[in-house]
Amino acid sequence: MIGCLNLEITEDQIAPDAPLYGEGLGLDSIDVLEVALEVSKRYGLQLRSDSADNKLIFSSLRSLSDHIAAQRTR
Amino acid sequence: MLMLRVMTWISLRLGRRAARVVLHLIAAYFLLLAPASRRASRAYLRRALGRPPHWRDLYRHFFTFAATIHDRIYLVNQRFELFDFEVHGEDTLLGLLAAGKGLFLVGAHMGSFEVIRAIGRKNADLRVAMVMHQENARKINAMLAAINPEAVQDIIALGHIDSMLRLREFLDAGGAVGMLADRTPGKDTLHPAQILGANADLPGGPFRTAALLRRPVAFMTGLYLGGNRYAIHFDALADFSTVARDQRDAAVEAAIARYAALLDHYCRAAPYNWFNFFDFWRPTPAASPPQS
Repeated sequence: MIGCLNLEITEDQIAPDAPLYGEGLGLDSIDVLEVALEVSKRYGLQLRSDSADNKLIFSSLRSLSDHIAAQRTR
Repeated sequence: MLMLRVMTWISLRLGRRAARVVLHLIAAYFLLLAPASRRASRAYLRRALGRPPHWRDLYRHFFTFAATIHDRIYLVNQRFELFDFEVHGEDTLLGLLAAGKGLFLVGAHMGSFEVIRAIGRKNADLRVAMVMHQENARKINAMLAAINPEAVQDIIALGHIDSMLRLREFLDAGGAVGMLADRTPGKDTLHPAQILGANADLPGGPFRTAALLRRPVAFMTGLYLGGNRYAIHFDALADFSTVARDQRDAAVEAAIARYAALLDHYCRAAPYNWFNFFDFWRPTPAASPPQS
């Protein structure tokens, strides 16, 4: 994710349970889009806007990776 | 909103000609009682006209602004027959839409973006959603409700976690997403650009989004020419469909430069249509006050 967003931090600086969007890591909605595109390319799963779970999915790195692990098609 | 309802009533019942008397009062008000807007207007017109502006230039600038805002009342109520629209570049627009992958329609606070409704009426399958910040989205919805409760407009509000996912789905359905890319109320990376021979900063967000989603971008403006005449222009601006990831930043820079060139071109062609009544340009080093 760091590589995909060109973030100026290292991996161990992302707390697995800290929020990704807004405060916390401070991603904006364009960053969220970039993550969603990368996730669909690597793991073959589509993140959609009508999913009520988006807030939960992007609430932390841990929940995002849990979601990917559960839904991935490749 | 009461004022807007009253104005809407005057405009629709008494007609456009009668309602425009009120617009002269509004223009006079700004000319006499809004010194900050007047300063911004004068500084801009000096650049666009290439000469010191007269009072009547400033008056015309404010009047053009008031007129385009006022005409939204008619456009939202689908009274297209009141206007004389000349359309340039419609083939460009339809050609880009034909791929069915959607399109970014980028405008500015210049002329009227609302005239896109007149194009939408002729081309039934042109769906346009405006992208805007949450606060503005709320205001626009309240305004539309006051003007015509039946007017629907798709609005994609920014500031939600899935705003951009909604935007992508709208594009996937072949829709056009409209945005005004000359300023941002939010935080965004700014890119230096040359407009009218001076330095300005333009937000990168709109073009960065189009690049990520690999879509074509068209420029659109509806310039007010006086009376009931508008000239609607569409210009191809960028196509990110085949831009590889390592080329993306360069392509975004090129798109911003092209956008700045288009703004420059239309500011000179229709100088009274620029509606950024604040200090849009960065002060040149020589003009800035000395440090004390």
